[in-house]
Amino acid sequence: MSSDVLRPEIQYATLAQQGDTAQLGMWVFLATETLFFGALLFAYFIYRMSYPHEFAEAAKDAVLWCGSVNIGLLITSSLTMVLAINAAADGRRRALVFWLCATAFLGICFLGVKVWEYRLDYVDHVVPAVNFIVKPGAGSAGELFWVFYFVATGLHAVHLTIGIGLVLYMLLWRVRRGEITPLYYAPLEVVGLYWSFVDTVWLFLFPAIYLAGRS
Amino acid sequence: MSGSRRHDPALVFIIGWLAMLLLTGLSIGSAFLGLGLCAPVIQFGIAATQAAILFVLFMRLKGPPSLKWVFAGSGFFWLLFLFGLSMTDYATRRGWPAAG
Amino acid sequence: MSSIAVDPPRNYASEENTIASWLLTRDHKRIALMFFASITAFFFIGGAAATLIRLHLATPAGLLQPSVYNRVFTMHGVVMVWFFLIPSIPATLGNFFVPMMIGAHDLAFPRINLASWYVFNLSGLVLLYALVMGGVDTGWTFYTPLSTIYANGYVFAAAMAVFINGFSTIMTALNFVVTIHRLRAPGMLWTRLPLFVWGIYSVSVVMLLATPVLAMDTLLLAVEQFLQVGLFDPSHGGDPLLWQHMFWFYSHPAVYIMILPAMGVVSELIACYARRPIFGYSGMTIAMMAIAVISFFVWAHHMFVAGISIYAAVVFSLMTFFVAVPSAIKVFNWTASLHKGSISFDAPMIYALGFVLLFTIGGLTGLMLATLAVDVDVHDTYFVIAHFHYIMVGGTVSAFFGGLHYWWPKMTGRLYPEMLARFAAFLTFVGFNLTFFPQFILGYLGMPRRYYTYPPEWQVWNVLSSAGASILAVGYLLPLFYLGWSLIWGRHASPNPWRATGLEWLTSSPPPTHNFERTPVVAIGPYSYDPEDGSYTTQDGVRHV
Repeated sequence: MSSDVLRPEIQYATLAQQGDTAQLGMWVFLATETLFFGALLFAYFIYRMSYPHEFAEAAKDAVLWCGSVNIGLLITSSLTMVLAINAAADGRRRALVFWLCATAFLGICFLGVKVWEYRLDYVDHVVPAVNFIVKPGAGSAGELFWVFYFVATGLHAVHLTIGIGLVLYMLLWRVRRGEITPLYYAPLEVVGLYWSFVDTVWLFLFPAIYLAGRS
Repeated sequence: MSGSRRHDPALVFIIGWLAMLLLTGLSIGSAFLGLGLCAPVIQFGIAATQAAILFVLFMRLKGPPSLKWVFAGSGFFWLLFLFGLSMTDYATRRGWPAAG
Repeated sequence: MSSIAVDPPRNYASEENTIASWLLTRDHKRIALMFFASITAFFFIGGAAATLIRLHLATPAGLLQPSVYNRVFTMHGVVMVWFFLIPSIPATLGNFFVPMMIGAHDLAFPRINLASWYVFNLSGLVLLYALVMGGVDTGWTFYTPLSTIYANGYVFAAAMAVFINGFSTIMTALNFVVTIHRLRAPGMLWTRLPLFVWGIYSVSVVMLLATPVLAMDTLLLAVEQFLQVGLFDPSHGGDPLLWQHMFWFYSHPAVYIMILPAMGVVSELIACYARRPIFGYSGMTIAMMAIAVISFFVWAHHMFVAGISIYAAVVFSLMTFFVAVPSAIKVFNWTASLHKGSISFDAPMIYALGFVLLFTIGGLTGLMLATLAVDVDVHDTYFVIAHFHYIMVGGTVSAFFGGLHYWWPKMTGRLYPEMLARFAAFLTFVGFNLTFFPQFILGYLGMPRRYYTYPPEWQVWNVLSSAGASILAVGYLLPLFYLGWSLIWGRHASPNPWRATGLEWLTSSPPPTHNFERTPVVAIGPYSYDPEDGSYTTQDGVRHV
């Protein structure tokens, strides 16, 4: 689609209808993601209620500073994403590029901290099936906490990586070819919705992983 | 989107951002206060509040079309059934939840 | 009924015929045909497994080694549930006709539609890999810790196949929900939607809310199976019931995923072939949405004897009684729709009437299973097997074949041979009952499911069942031949050979690529059939005598 004649696809009457529908589609997808991660949290909830002591003990080894830095990075990245969308709506192209780069950068920083944290976890012997050592008081159920940790943060990291890929796709493909204009910037809004949702997942994973057993 | 959609000024989002950071701090702080079973309730409540700020403000739930609310809420609402109906099994088992 | 006609020179199938134009198509009609091909292939694989099962069970000594028998019934279940029944009506008839029935030119997201087909085939390849490498012996329900710790076989691959398949389901469902909300033609109010569209809408809601939980459950299964970390292993503190709760949270709604589109098809067929509006249109739509919602509240009736607390069992038993009510309302309304109708027994109608009877039997036996005291005796016996086959085969597959015949002239521009089709429909009805009614008796007598042998005094029922299966197989194979024959030698179909009222019948047979030259304007609701004078009014408001 060239930028001079942007027409809606055949099944749409107007570009506005196409854009609105794209957003709705993303919201439907996010509902399924809510249930996906929600089911994981459900399993976590059942096991934490079954083994509160063991989970609290095991959770003491979670690296709080990594989790806290990461939640700060992600919350900020939602801000930069929204500022990028505002810039697209106003036609401020340089601001759009800047804020999109900032969003991707913050996401990459998150992944960097996560990799560092996984290394610390490895050193601490909390990786199930690899080098897990049962800590005193954690019992065999403590390993369940760490299974949950790796599944949850691993899945989240996969989703975040896809998000970074989408942001870069917007930057290097759609924005560069001038396809994101004040007249039609729905693709960017759709990516923004996805991005903020990945942020939301972390908002719920954070207390589950890093705040148990601290006192 | 057509150009006639207005968006909130940046300041609104910056305030939302600061609010979320502040709430994060409160959440972390609550973990060290020895609140027992209240702690996760507070912490997940804060997470839900932050999610609400993200959804309503940043993800523009408050804008049209209003159908978005149904889709946005349905996932969370449906989780209530998974959690709640499972509790008819778990909560009626002896010795569950284990003594905290 | 039909006039001599010729294929329109340019239609969606003939417009451009390179392989690339099909494999990269965005046309929902072409994608529907491609899904047809995929699910037919899997129907054969699942059917081959069923043939082996019935051949084996004809004698107590059997044909297969016990471990092989386990793998055969597992593959039958996995293939039929996820690779045939769940996609069958939505991905084929739904894809083809939902946009047309609402007056749209395509689905909301055509590329996602195409992607869904590719993901479906990818998941099928992963499953075939598991099958070829030796299969899985856990049953289609993959219960832990058997599947994660003790099973022999390719559990990881099979679980991954199901996981990937879920993405295809979600993509298709997402497309339908958004399309029906946003792309209805002017005048196509929610209260004027054909019941088939309501069926697809309600099934899509269920798919979207249930499948992600299965995705997480299979993912955790794969994690435990691969890493042996003890997530659901009691010796590590894991709870096998947790796995079952999450599995059935999806898999019970899944059985409603399999029946809701079929119910939608049956309403179309009964209205058309009784030449009457469906009785109680709003009751039908509310019932479908009620089924969709309540289906999420009953899952632990699969776990009554698994070790859940008795209080949970009572709650879920009560909920299961509730879910039967909207289904019963639909059966009453279909029956009432026949009253004072002008009924013709074309093949689609035979399938539809068969559906109503067989679904009713299946549903009533479901109530028997919902009763705790009865279930304790017949759980995991052939009573359960008969119950769900009455609904899924007697119900869904009948409706699928009925809809296939009904819409065949529209999709292909050809008429199938009517007498042969009626014979095949009748044959499947007889064969089906002979196959599965003896299984109610066997279950009541106590024959367990998933056992490779049985006491010799039960052989007579098993032989009857296997004999019925052979008749059923002929009944299902016949359409393959005569439908294929019709593509080349069948009479050309007019735009509306059945004199039906939906928007899809306003187009040529086969339709043009973009369905409608101009977006239609809808004037009235569906099913404006007048049984007195044989006239009908299509949804654009034009009356035909």
